Amino acid sequence: MKTTEALLETETETKGNSEASGRELENAAKIHYLTGSNAKFRKTEGNMLSVTADGETHPAVYVHCSFPHTNRTSYLSIRNIDNKEIGMIRSLGDFDEATAKLLEEQMQIRYFCPEITKVLSMKEEFGYSYWEAETTAGVCRFTVRNGGANAKLVTAVRLVISDVNGNRFVIPDIGKLGDKEYRMVETIM
Amino acid sequence: MLRTERMRLLEQWSLREDQIIVELSCDRNLTGGFAVTHLALTKDALWVAAGVNENIQEYNYKGFELPGKRKSKRPAARSEDDEAQPLEWRTERIPIGEIEELKVVNLVASGMIVIKGGEGERLLAAFTNGAMSQAARLAAVFEKLKKNEPLEEALQSGDGEDESCPQCGMLYPEKERKVCPKCMKKTKLFLRLLAFAKPYRASVLLIVLFMLLNSATGLVIPYLQGTVLFDQALKGEGSFAGQIGIVVALIIGFRTLSLLFGVLYGMITAKMAANVVFDLKSTVFSSMQRLSLSFYQRRQTGQLMTRVNNDSAELQYFFIDGLSYFIVNAINIIGIVSILLYLDWKLTLLCLLPMPIVIVLVRNVFPKLWRLSWRRHRRVSSLNAMISDTIRGTRVVKAFSLERKEMNRFQRANDNYATAEQNYNKLSSTVFPVLNALTQLGGMFIWAFGGYMIMQGQVAFGLVLTFVHYMHMLYGPIEFMNNIVGWWSHCMTASQRIFEIQDTTPDVRESEDPVELKRMRGEIEVSNITFGYEPNKPILKQVSLKVKPGQMVGVVGHSGAGKSTLVNLISRLYDVNEGSIRIDGIDVKDIATGSLRSQIGIVSQDVYIFSGSIAENIAYAKPDCSMQDILHASAIAKAHDFIEKLPDGYDTIVGTGGYNLSGGEKQRLSIARAILHNPRLLILDEATASLDTETELHIQEALEALIKGRTTIAIAHRLSTLRNADYLVVMDQGKVIEEGTHSELMGKDGFYKDLVRKHDEALKMNEVIIA
Repeated sequence: MKTTEALLETETETKGNSEASGRELENAAKIHYLTGSNAKFRKTEGNMLSVTADGETHPAVYVHCSFPHTNRTSYLSIRNIDNKEIGMIRSLGDFDEATAKLLEEQMQIRYFCPEITKVLSMKEEFGYSYWEAETTAGVCRFTVRNGGANAKLVTAVRLVISDVNGNRFVIPDIGKLGDKEYRMVETIM
Repeated sequence: MLRTERMRLLEQWSLREDQIIVELSCDRNLTGGFAVTHLALTKDALWVAAGVNENIQEYNYKGFELPGKRKSKRPAARSEDDEAQPLEWRTERIPIGEIEELKVVNLVASGMIVIKGGEGERLLAAFTNGAMSQAARLAAVFEKLKKNEPLEEALQSGDGEDESCPQCGMLYPEKERKVCPKCMKKTKLFLRLLAFAKPYRASVLLIVLFMLLNSATGLVIPYLQGTVLFDQALKGEGSFAGQIGIVVALIIGFRTLSLLFGVLYGMITAKMAANVVFDLKSTVFSSMQRLSLSFYQRRQTGQLMTRVNNDSAELQYFFIDGLSYFIVNAINIIGIVSILLYLDWKLTLLCLLPMPIVIVLVRNVFPKLWRLSWRRHRRVSSLNAMISDTIRGTRVVKAFSLERKEMNRFQRANDNYATAEQNYNKLSSTVFPVLNALTQLGGMFIWAFGGYMIMQGQVAFGLVLTFVHYMHMLYGPIEFMNNIVGWWSHCMTASQRIFEIQDTTPDVRESEDPVELKRMRGEIEVSNITFGYEPNKPILKQVSLKVKPGQMVGVVGHSGAGKSTLVNLISRLYDVNEGSIRIDGIDVKDIATGSLRSQIGIVSQDVYIFSGSIAENIAYAKPDCSMQDILHASAIAKAHDFIEKLPDGYDTIVGTGGYNLSGGEKQRLSIARAILHNPRLLILDEATASLDTETELHIQEALEALIKGRTTIAIAHRLSTLRNADYLVVMDQGKVIEEGTHSELMGKDGFYKDLVRKHDEALKMNEVIIA
């Protein structure tokens, strides 16, 4: 039987191991990380995002979230129009406030998705459901084709709804819906 | 954007309607909300109008019905004739000369228009996904305009205004299906559904007849058991005085008759329903075969399987349970109530006293019960899905020793299911006893008042008993009728889905006067084609290619370069967006699809093996060929030897549940299939990509036998496959970047030479590893 100290020792060992393997992974992945010191972001006159990193200026780049549903502030990939990665941002905290705000603005441009705050009505008819909902962008009315693929739970509580044209709407927490709203939403899940 | 606003804007710009080539109404701002930016392209400028004072607080997406038709919880903020608040615009005219490029940038579920000018790129406007195809059209037209090329084709590309229903103006929820769910009447749907029963008119008539007899004989019994037995036979009055034996015999007789009619109509219904469902399934299946490849790629296989199986099963309920029970129950209700009224109207009203409570209860509680039952159903499906996932992934689970985690995951799903089950049971075990009690209560009423009336001598004992019997018969049909609304909409949804497949028009349509190509010479000319599966995502851009009869052309390039798409277009699985493909000088769009495809053979990387014997699989394209042909074809394809080694030879059953063929064996079967098919144009789509080097060598020999004397287009990323090619085309990112013979390309020091160098290096590496 192992003593408590021995157990503790193994624990630290495992922790050390996982840290070491994390470093190994990082070395092998060869991802270039951008920070406030090696990259300067700027908004151009044409409302585009430009970045100067390692002496090179990219006039138009886009911010891709690695975890758009679970973490919007970490692991952002900066890519050009040809989907080539300029670098990654580990956390928005690695930049000054103004830059962080600029990047957040860019994410809002890329990820347009009204958040549903209240489902006003949902009527199902002939395999389509017609929605009217209060969202962060105002009242939206849209049509969703029935079938599991159009309303997907991306986490345990976050529901992403796609309408007939592929426009997206999100219910951030289905647990917070009212009883009546939940009943309406449940029928298409 | 409202029509009146647009007119005002044109006035402001002093533009005439006919000066505008293409317009785009963008609908979103950059901060997560909505805003209007209107773009209009004329011959010499791009006009931009951005709404200034507008703060759009509501938005109707494409596909939602026009305002006014659908009742909205909120009144529309702006309407066509709203003159009160004209929008203010910040407008701008950008001469075409100042714009180098206009492009559509795809975002997540939306897009934006970016123009490139002297001062770099500029974000002009953003739009939601509904405007994507119109935006793609704007970009395409702009490009043509810039290059001074004709615009017609670009203007026609994509979908147009025919996306909405001509009757009500509502946009079709799906553009390839020109049916408006609103204008399609449910009664029409119902009639269309009934049409499936049309060939069985005789059966239907018999069913209704037997059902009527069944009800009629059933309705006599309570009367015999009550009034006749007690008031006449036992009391010694009326025509049956003292004749208990006869009355009992009559009761037994009518019961038997009723039973007999019930059995008869059940038998006929079962037979007819099975036939109708058979018809339905074959209709759906054959409609599906008719559709283009793109229909399948847009939908999940599972979803389609559900359509064929579940939806037709759903309709089976419609025909068996629904329709016939509806008739029976309706007749029962009418029959019972009229008998009761005839016997004694006062007692009848008493009888119906608890009825409103029953109806209210059923109305309010049953929907909840259905919801709970549906939730239970969903939970059990997710539980099942989890079990099948884990079982299929057992190897992975064991390899990472994550059994414990899987058990926990299962526990959670199981818990969820158990809760749903309990909720359902709790409610159902409350509702049904209450309903029963209510029915009993009705009986009590009758006994109480009826008893009082008996004592007063107003009614006879038997009559009261008859009433009680009838009342019990009445509750079942009434409960059923309450369910009818849910059942009806359920059926209509299922039938709507089935008809949807029937109504979908295939994307790739045969031309009205198709040319039969008797014997293809195999001359292919691809000129300037552009194609994308989705708007604004072109896979091929301006691709041209020429293949002479009997020539072998190799297409090389990285994966994703558009090689497979190119051959899909040549065999017309899709239609090109721009440009043309000609075979023997005739546009593929004009060639009869049957004669085109029967002369094209495709051997691709993923081989589909049908369930059946090896011989059947080889003879798939030519089922009437002789055994000898099959043997010869497989010998040429180098498949003969391995087939002979199998204990069941050519009769070996392969496919799902059958003998497992290796990748190389499957590939050789597919080559044999192609040899037997004897196509004039052969397409090899990465035929050997998934095989190891040695197997590839074997297959290579087989392929050479196949290629001989045919026009061949071979796609490969492994260059060894192409050593015999007469001519090579190198593709990258949807464009042809180099072409020529092997030696010509090697002399060029370009992409191809680089590819060959990399390939050789990889081969050497392999040798080292093997050594």
